[in-house]
Amino acid sequence: MAFLFGRRPRTNTVDLPKQAKEQISRLDGPAGAAKAEELAKTLAQMKFVLQGTQEVEASPEQVYTLVTGMIQEDLLYLLAINLQRLPFEARKDAQVIFSYVLRFRPPTASPKSEPIALSYVINNRPEVFVELCNGYDQKESATPAGTVLREVLKSEQAAAIILYDDPTANGNSKGLTGIQLDSRQSGEGVFWKFFNWIDQGSFEVGADAFTTFRELLTRHKSLVAQYLSTNFDLFFDKYNNLLVKSESYVTKRQSIKLLGEILLDRANYAVMTAYVDRGEHLKICMNLLRDERKMVQYEGFHVFKVFVANPHKSIAVQKILLINRDRLLSFLKHFLEDRTEDEQFIDEREFLIKQIRNMPLQPVEPTQKPALLGSQSR
Amino acid sequence: MSSEGAASQYQVLEELGSGSFGVVYKAIERSTGDVVAIKHIDLESSEDDIQEIQQEISVLSTCASPYVTQYKASFLRGHKLWIVMEYLGGGSCLDLLKAGSFNEAHIAIICRELLLGLEYLHQEGKIHRDIKAANVLLSNSGKVKLADFGVAAQLTNIKSQRNTFVGTPFWMAPEVIQQAGYDFKADIWSLGITAMEMINGEPPNAAVHPMKVLFLIPKAPAPRLEGNHYSKDFKDFVSQCLVKDCDRRPSAKELLRHRFIRSAGKVEGLRELIERKQEWDGGKMKPSHPRLYEETLNNMPKHEPDEWVFDTVKASTIAPRKNTTKRRKLSVIHANGQGITSGAEEAFKQLDLKDAPLEYSSPPPVTVKKSTIRKQPSIMQLATPTKSRQASSQKKPLQPDMNFGNSGCSTVRICRRVSDNSTTAQVNSDISVPGSTRDENRPPMGGTVTKEAILGRRVFNRIVDPSFQELHAQTSNQAKREALSRLADAWSALDAVDPEGEFQFIKTMMERVQADPKLSSHLTPVKGTSRDGTPQASPQKSPTKLVLAQNNPHLRSHRRRQTSMAPEPEFKEKLSNLPGQAVPGMEHTKQLADVLYGRWAGGLRNRWPAV
Repeated sequence: MAFLFGRRPRTNTVDLPKQAKEQISRLDGPAGAAKAEELAKTLAQMKFVLQGTQEVEASPEQVYTLVTGMIQEDLLYLLAINLQRLPFEARKDAQVIFSYVLRFRPPTASPKSEPIALSYVINNRPEVFVELCNGYDQKESATPAGTVLREVLKSEQAAAIILYDDPTANGNSKGLTGIQLDSRQSGEGVFWKFFNWIDQGSFEVGADAFTTFRELLTRHKSLVAQYLSTNFDLFFDKYNNLLVKSESYVTKRQSIKLLGEILLDRANYAVMTAYVDRGEHLKICMNLLRDERKMVQYEGFHVFKVFVANPHKSIAVQKILLINRDRLLSFLKHFLEDRTEDEQFIDEREFLIKQIRNMPLQPVEPTQKPALLGSQSR
Repeated sequence: MSSEGAASQYQVLEELGSGSFGVVYKAIERSTGDVVAIKHIDLESSEDDIQEIQQEISVLSTCASPYVTQYKASFLRGHKLWIVMEYLGGGSCLDLLKAGSFNEAHIAIICRELLLGLEYLHQEGKIHRDIKAANVLLSNSGKVKLADFGVAAQLTNIKSQRNTFVGTPFWMAPEVIQQAGYDFKADIWSLGITAMEMINGEPPNAAVHPMKVLFLIPKAPAPRLEGNHYSKDFKDFVSQCLVKDCDRRPSAKELLRHRFIRSAGKVEGLRELIERKQEWDGGKMKPSHPRLYEETLNNMPKHEPDEWVFDTVKASTIAPRKNTTKRRKLSVIHANGQGITSGAEEAFKQLDLKDAPLEYSSPPPVTVKKSTIRKQPSIMQLATPTKSRQASSQKKPLQPDMNFGNSGCSTVRICRRVSDNSTTAQVNSDISVPGSTRDENRPPMGGTVTKEAILGRRVFNRIVDPSFQELHAQTSNQAKREALSRLADAWSALDAVDPEGEFQFIKTMMERVQADPKLSSHLTPVKGTSRDGTPQASPQKSPTKLVLAQNNPHLRSHRRRQTSMAPEPEFKEKLSNLPGQAVPGMEHTKQLADVLYGRWAGGLRNRWPAV
């Protein structure tokens, strides 16, 4: 890094954000490429201020100056929307800058306090998170944006901002204060774009988007449980049709696995009971058992078992299982037979066989019905 | 995530070899005519979270350095993931070592280039974690590049540390093994071991069992190059890399200023190594045919006849059942009774309790467990935010986890590969038993060498140790593996101290087995039946077979080398490698060998029924 400072006079830390902003504003101009190179140098210097090197420690005062300067110049937002236009190394530097800035607490602040820049974005500039998600629109920005996002998502408020982003919501009550946890989503918000990024993008983009998607849906339990309950139909319609039925092996396999995890998470009990109540969900799942790829069958099994183990099976589910009872019994007997080492799987398979064999021959009205989720007012 | 069309942009040619996750092919990019290497990873054969495989891609794709193999693209084709990378025609340093050890001048050049590569990686917050000759590739013009980022780590904070136990035992730094937290310096240690590997043809302790090496490295003093056939500078360089205290170990940047490195020549000088290897290959018989890429069609036997029936109104399917309904009605009522329903109910409730029978925890279990482990620390992170930055980037559990994702896999793979290695060493040292100098780790047998002692050692080298390795490789249960390796260690201690007693022990055991008619009938297989199908394998070498494809050219040349290396007087010993040969004085071990071979062949058949 030293070579940067040998040749040119070093810009004061105080001026770095302003300089970066100015360079970004000229990216579109006639000398855009040259400006991009200059911007890259500015970012490299910012990175150096923030993280130091293996030999030199970063100075907290300098970092503080830089972070507050970046907030003033709205640089986080500008970087988020221009990520894909930066040169290769500068994109990685921008990613590092984001990570450090959003984690930074002044040395005097309590270690439990929210980092200042993170708090600023959450309360005043939620668009930064939304634009980071939009980084998945381009291959170039996907990885750096995704890496930053997954760190940001450790904050429940940040996750809520992304989940509840909804451009069609009336008024300008954006951001954290505008979130109503029980408001139904239109499906136009940035969260819903993830379904397309996962399935339509190139492998790298899709894989990264899925990792973030998964983080969104598994980290903050009660937030997600509420969200899925409220948007049950919209969510599972997209989930089943775009992800579980995807043509892509990776999308399919990973989303079945994640589905199993979501359903079996205790926090999502209401979501699970509603999910396994539907006959059409069981159909999708039974078709997974017959997929020609073993790992798809296997992941499908772990969703299927939930339907069978449910002591309050709906009439629709019972009917499907009963019509296929003999087929299921002989099918399960030889299902994934080569998994001889997998004792838990074998136990569960035996359990399912027993359950199916012991089902009453006529569907029985379940004694308990799931909460009506999402579909109530449809 | 799919881009089937992308595959047609490449004309896939012959196989180059098989790596950690799959087979690597040479290919031509149609649009540019460039030669590339494409790694095919069969995702269907991997239980691991696909995410772990993506890790490799994400590390590679964020590297842009002349010292790191260049990543070009990746895409899915069915359930295979194709990773396109630059083609490096010189092969790996491990390949090049087959034609003989390198000299110091060559090693200096390679080390300089590797240090430049490591300097880049470390500055980027990446740790390679598996530096060894096998992962260093050369281009045709002699350029040196780091490859195989299968277990590499990306840190978000350049000062944070890792605890995950990954790498290949012989090359692992003490702090990695001790899991006390390590950083970039771990790569420097491995570089030092790699330097020794290049001058000696194998890493230090190559003859020791890999599990034992894991105890040895933290305990023993750091390996050194000794003797005056090495230059002072080289010895000093190696000793600087191999400083056990990682805080005192120099960084890549500092080592670039070392005399040994500064005096290194140009990379073009490495062409000599490539040419030497080509000559060496030429001297050997050409591998009969290059393995060509063949499209594997997925002909899964489909049992179509009984598709699910979702159509409730299909009368025909319901009708016949009606007849039986009446008869079954009684049992239905029973089945509906308290016992079973509540049983099911119970089980269902337990679904979300942690210890329920249906709990979603094992085989995908492994991964789910992982995610629970992963989340627990995150709760703590909220409470102690100072720690959270360190853990923040880590998708892996902080706990020592021998099994995490692909690295677990690679550790196993590595152990197997290693067992291949150590078998080689054993075979070598075995061939030259009298006055062997290679085998430093065994105390040399003193003046009172009895025949029993030689035989005892032989039993260990040929029978006991390979069997342990084989069993170990076949055992998946962690606890069982540990118990097994403890036993293996104990046995090897016996072998070191008292080979004579070892021989007596085996002998007594064999006699007792034979004395018991029931046991002897079970332990003595019918001759011939157990060894059909794989005639080229001998029981002693079984671990080797598990690692490399049968027709792997390296393996073949390796085997040839072994046989050609056997000097004339040891002719009988050479023959004894082949099945069915009676070894004088060893008749009694033959049955044991047969049993072991039979078991191994059985295991093999289970794994690859088609072979």
